[in-house]
Amino acid sequence: MADPYERALESLLRVDGVRAAILVDADMGVPVVMEADAGVDADAAAALGAELFRRSARCADLAGAGSLRTLQLAAEDGHLLVAAAGGLLIVAVAAPDAQLAVLRVEAGRVAGSLA
Amino acid sequence: MRTRAELAVLVDLLRGPLREYVRETRVRMAVLVDASGQLLAQQGFSRGYEVTNVASLAAAAHAAASALADMTGARRWTHLHNEGRNQHMLLAPYATGGSDLILVAIFDRSTSLGIVRLFSDRLGERLREIPELRGGGSVRDASRFEHELEGGVRRVMGDHA
Repeated sequence: MADPYERALESLLRVDGVRAAILVDADMGVPVVMEADAGVDADAAAALGAELFRRSARCADLAGAGSLRTLQLAAEDGHLLVAAAGGLLIVAVAAPDAQLAVLRVEAGRVAGSLA
Repeated sequence: MRTRAELAVLVDLLRGPLREYVRETRVRMAVLVDASGQLLAQQGFSRGYEVTNVASLAAAAHAAASALADMTGARRWTHLHNEGRNQHMLLAPYATGGSDLILVAIFDRSTSLGIVRLFSDRLGERLREIPELRGGGSVRDASRFEHELEGGVRRVMGDHA
């Protein structure tokens, strides 16, 4: 894995419990690169994660909270983490027992390296 | 060729899935046409668009994209995205077992290509479940396809075609 995008995915996928890592074009909501376990609909996670982030960013802006950096959605069977990285979004799908704190730190580090 | 009664049934069957597609994606306008350019369903804000012309041109684009896909070995094309300054257009063909259907979706920045594409795929899955689409109206026959396409282009171009 040579290029920075693939290195970014690799570091996210090393976190325990991460089932999919996707770099998404923030404007278009389409995946740039992705790696996902079987059974994870990565295209849907990319499109809907980007949409959720876009709407939440607008909400944060209207609420005077400034620009949105990270969004974390906790659901019954897992977590979705979306982080801004310049013109890209990092979308990670994680199992319920994933190391979320480590994932947040790693997503922040990746975002810094890509932005 | 479909009879008028078959067409009416088909139009009725397509209305619901297309309405849901527009609601889910927030595209400005979506139309479904068959491969000969016949308009089968439309939803959204069609004011400002000559919908029958859009339908005919979508069929022509489908024919051109299919030929290009054949020539390049890509076999079947799945999406065609045009990005304009303010608006985008997505074309997606659906093989339904009978005739191909083509979705034309026009959208702006209130949604994203990812969402439009995702739900286009889901719309295709829904359409494939409609038994009426698996039957008649096949335009596989090349000469009939060409004839119908010519008719569509004439409707758009008038005497200049």
